[in-house]
Amino acid sequence: MTRYAMVMDTRRCVGCDSCTVACMVHNELPLGIIFNPVITDGPKGVYPHVHMVHIPLLCMHCEETPCVHACPTGASQQDDDGIVWVEAAKCMGCGACVEACPYNARHKDRKSGVVLKCDFCKDRVRGGGNPHCVDTCHQRARIFGDLDDSTSEVFKIVNGMRTERLYEDLGTEPQVYYVIGLGGQEA
Amino acid sequence: MSKPPIDLNDPSIEACKSTCFFCHTNCGTIAYVKDGEVIRVEGDPDHSTNRGGLCSRGNIALKHLDHPDRINTPLKRKGEKGAGQWEEITWEQALDEIAERLKVIREESGAEALATCGGTVRTDDWARRRFMNLFGSPNSFHNALLCWIPTFMIETAVSGWSPFGADLDNARIAVLWGANPGASVLPTMRTLTDCQKKGMKLMVIDPRYTATAAHADLWVPLRPGSDLALALAWLNVIIGEYLYDEDFCRDYCTGFDELAEHVKQYTPQWAAPLTDLTPTQIRESARMYAKNKPGSIMWGTSMDQQGRASGAAIHARALIRAIMGNINVTGGDIQTGPGLEFMVDEEFECNDVLSEEQRAKQLGSDKYKLCTWPGYGLIRDIALDTWGAAPPSEWMCEANAPSVWRAILEGEPYRVRALICCATNPVNSYGDSKVVLEALKKVEFLVTCEYWMTSAALYADYVMPIAGALERPVIHNNYGCATVFHGGRRAISPLHDRGTDFQFWRGLGLRLGQDDEEDWPWECEEEAYFDIVYPTGLEIESYDEFVDEIGGSYSSDFNPNAWREEGFPTRSGKVELKSSVLEELGYPGLPTYVGAPEAHAEDPEVVESFPLILTTGGGFMPFHHSEEFNIKELRFLRPDPYFDINPETAQKLGIKKKDWCWIETMRGRIKQRACLTNGIAPNTIYTQRGWWYPERTLTPGEDDPFGVLESNTNVLTAASFEDCDPISGTWACRGLRCRVYKVQEGGAR
Repeated sequence: MTRYAMVMDTRRCVGCDSCTVACMVHNELPLGIIFNPVITDGPKGVYPHVHMVHIPLLCMHCEETPCVHACPTGASQQDDDGIVWVEAAKCMGCGACVEACPYNARHKDRKSGVVLKCDFCKDRVRGGGNPHCVDTCHQRARIFGDLDDSTSEVFKIVNGMRTERLYEDLGTEPQVYYVIGLGGQEA
Repeated sequence: MSKPPIDLNDPSIEACKSTCFFCHTNCGTIAYVKDGEVIRVEGDPDHSTNRGGLCSRGNIALKHLDHPDRINTPLKRKGEKGAGQWEEITWEQALDEIAERLKVIREESGAEALATCGGTVRTDDWARRRFMNLFGSPNSFHNALLCWIPTFMIETAVSGWSPFGADLDNARIAVLWGANPGASVLPTMRTLTDCQKKGMKLMVIDPRYTATAAHADLWVPLRPGSDLALALAWLNVIIGEYLYDEDFCRDYCTGFDELAEHVKQYTPQWAAPLTDLTPTQIRESARMYAKNKPGSIMWGTSMDQQGRASGAAIHARALIRAIMGNINVTGGDIQTGPGLEFMVDEEFECNDVLSEEQRAKQLGSDKYKLCTWPGYGLIRDIALDTWGAAPPSEWMCEANAPSVWRAILEGEPYRVRALICCATNPVNSYGDSKVVLEALKKVEFLVTCEYWMTSAALYADYVMPIAGALERPVIHNNYGCATVFHGGRRAISPLHDRGTDFQFWRGLGLRLGQDDEEDWPWECEEEAYFDIVYPTGLEIESYDEFVDEIGGSYSSDFNPNAWREEGFPTRSGKVELKSSVLEELGYPGLPTYVGAPEAHAEDPEVVESFPLILTTGGGFMPFHHSEEFNIKELRFLRPDPYFDINPETAQKLGIKKKDWCWIETMRGRIKQRACLTNGIAPNTIYTQRGWWYPERTLTPGEDDPFGVLESNTNVLTAASFEDCDPISGTWACRGLRCRVYKVQEGGAR
């Protein structure tokens, strides 16, 4: 089996927004809709004793999918490899999934009336490539791969290092893992 | 949602090794071309610079190519200058008429009455200089002085060639002194992060807690404009505590004893009030660099942008590296010399054609001697003696920009009557923008080579439509000063009636009596580039083949240990801590303290009226200089300009987050919005650079087209003759005095 996942190495991210723009341009997103923003947390503290970390986001491709459960038409789906996506033809734009998603990862497009979201660039990754946000990242802060493949980098990180997931207590079992640290020699 | 991947087996799709153009890093890209149309651009995973990565700018290549605001045909002014009324004409007609006008100006006022200015590495600079030398004018310039050129020339005056090739893989420490690659040169940031993981330490010296500083092992937040004081104090500590490389200083340097005596006065206690650092911070940062040997002090633009303190600061920094013996050692800073296995830019510039008489007329060369013909002439001779190749005169030997604006406005020492701007909007990028805009309005004959209508192009008599990255081949070779270069192919022919800068200079030259066999034997870039790469000896029959053969990057061999036997490429064969080249030009041989133009002002009236210290000029994503403000796929990230202010200061001034404020210096004021951050000292302000509002419609008689004076940080910067560095002529973007107050009149703008 294949189980796609992403690791965010926040020790390496510099908050350059390359991933955000690559996604937007290559997936031809309408202006105003962003699948993968990068949040700057800081500088925290009082000058000059400060620290700052950048947190890249995108759809968490949860194992337990409140969005799919909320969808009344079957447009929101999860495939066997874990990718959560929206079949536009079946979407009536009710927005139930947008409300259900705790990660703010779904966006209703006013023009087409359907909900848009990150699908891990599914056609691209199923052809053996990476999502655009991963390929474009100079810092290699986003790492993509198959958690069921014990030779993959994501497998090694998720099973070998301390990682965190966002809102873990909600029980959604997100498949995006964060390596948290101070950068520098730990990175 | 996602688009299907490109089917690489589709025989109708060509994957063309091309080059990104949106900063001078020139990352490798793959342009997928189908039926003469580029359908996708991605980072080239095999390119040594970016290894597949592309920043936000690199991702918008296709948006740039097809942007509705691109200028696609030559424009000739109708009506008044600045009225924005144009007639579309052919390249032939434009070149004929421009040439005719230049011919008359040369006959009446001499060739020096033509000046040309350029932008950041998206042009064939040698072609411009070749044209200018053949035309007979010494007045070619860039924004060179703000970006590396004073560093290169002063370091070359000290050690024979600037040691700018950092061997980070083997370094124990990298010092980033006023550099923020995390928001500018991402491939460098990646290398630094990778090396940190292997154990290298990273020190960032910067008034701002930047994306890069956030990753540093030590952040040294000095007062903007005090770099010279800090560098002199480092010399004092390193020598005073015997941390220097004694053998290297004895065997390979001149002037060490004098230097040691000279810097005794510059103690950490002396530097502390100037730098806003404690003596302990100064000592510990100096020790951290000195005790982690080998190490690198990487170049950043900061020291190039401090006006009259720049030259001495750069000199002092060069001496820190030298006395540590960190030149040309594994893990240190490496002098490569020029590439000897390919033609360097200088060999294409026809510098020998320009007479001594014309060289002497180069504007600013009487005052600022190192980066103009007097200093460049000395350095060129030494380099030619050593290698038979020299740094280019383009960039290293240019008319002094503030002097050119003055010559246009005041006719002193003579009137510049014609100006050609290529790949630059000087109003955004040169110091003291109001003066620059006046000069552009006033110059008798103005031509711009541009992608867009800008506040400079608006006043032009002719605007030439220029081809972008995908529409031309590229060679990037660090101005011909390194042994490495990168190259990319032309993905498609120029769209519409666009052309390249090479085509422009060649076309103009041929119409002004320059010869098509002798002077311009190449009809297109690929032919010229083939001559550049031919000496590599690779079995290639065209430039395109060369690019495919080398995979985008070429490295020429050099011997990093040559200095041990042959000495350094200076006249004495040693690193001249006390520089004979600087002395010959009439400058102090050792770096001597001088305050930045305003940061250390003593006039109590000035201090009271302008209580805060301003730093500006630092790059920020997703823009590059004044570019990309009109690309909506980037602009949405930063729709408005922001300045950084410490929350404590903001509170005192009644400024809240996102408030529109005036930032004012002695030269003028601009509006930006407040970003309250603890990443900056309470006495310091940072303004974003490059701002203009391309989305604004032009109204007739507009004094401030596209709002180019409204939020543009260069309205604030200082470029009077007294502000400029006597050695290099660079002006001051950092360490200025300012005041900040809320915009009161209704609305944001």
